[in-house]
Amino acid sequence: MWSYEKRLQYPVNIKKTCPKTASLIISQFGGPDGELAASMRYLSQRYTMPDKAVGGLLTDIGTEELAHLEIICAMIYQLTKNMTIEQAKEAGFDAYYIDHTAGIWPTAAAGIPFNACEFQSKGDAITDLHEDLAAEQKARSTYDNLIRMIDDPDVREPLKFLRQREIVHFQRFGEALEKIKAGLDERNFYYFSPEFDKQFVPMA
Amino acid sequence: MADRATLLRQIDEISFTVNDLTLYLDTHPTDTQALNAFDLAMSERKQLLEHYSREYEPLTMNCVDTENNNQTGRYSNYPGQKHFTWSDGPLPWDNQGGVM
Repeated sequence: MWSYEKRLQYPVNIKKTCPKTASLIISQFGGPDGELAASMRYLSQRYTMPDKAVGGLLTDIGTEELAHLEIICAMIYQLTKNMTIEQAKEAGFDAYYIDHTAGIWPTAAAGIPFNACEFQSKGDAITDLHEDLAAEQKARSTYDNLIRMIDDPDVREPLKFLRQREIVHFQRFGEALEKIKAGLDERNFYYFSPEFDKQFVPMA
Repeated sequence: MADRATLLRQIDEISFTVNDLTLYLDTHPTDTQALNAFDLAMSERKQLLEHYSREYEPLTMNCVDTENNNQTGRYSNYPGQKHFTWSDGPLPWDNQGGVM
């Protein structure tokens, strides 16, 4: 169950129309390391997570990622809502315009549509938490690339906030992985699947 | 009466504190210092949300109170008329969260 709160987690107020910038940051909505993949990854993985606290953490971080994709979408919206056909053409936003006008649709910066294959839910706590750690770093690198390329402070400030959140999530997932491993046989963490071979794994 | 933008910013800030402490407490559920900070921030957040919804639109469904919301009448299509106040206010993706 979810309930909506009528505000952004971090405020967005972009004054300058720029479809070029929109075409880059859209990757953090529908790209391979974007916020949509992040939320779907964590919210899918949580059901079979063998530790209650880790399932709870996946719920809370997955929920925050939904708030992050809302921030990204608000930025794309504000960057393109007043664009002209000429601006769309100059920015190379014309191909997107043909299929979506100024509507918000999940795609990578290079035009590849969002795809569930961009994230995994493997049913193995160790595998999934390593995927989550990698995902946070990949998202952080993408934000680094965007911040290097974009000058508008109205766009940079929310991106800097989102970048910092990737680092906090990485830290928390690292703690979750340690917690899972603490419940396993330290001589061989990989002898059983902590999610599937329930009879061998002493966990909550 | 507090300025709408100032109040919204205070809600954003205290909610971020609650949000960040939530993730910390998910992995450190008995950290007393963090628990005290969480209780303090959560109580301030509830007061601010309540204050905001009295003067402006409700930000959460739990703040909807059609008798007492939005006493300033800002961003309402039905000023002075009993109505569903959940629809008051700008949409969050509008510039400045609609605070202009």
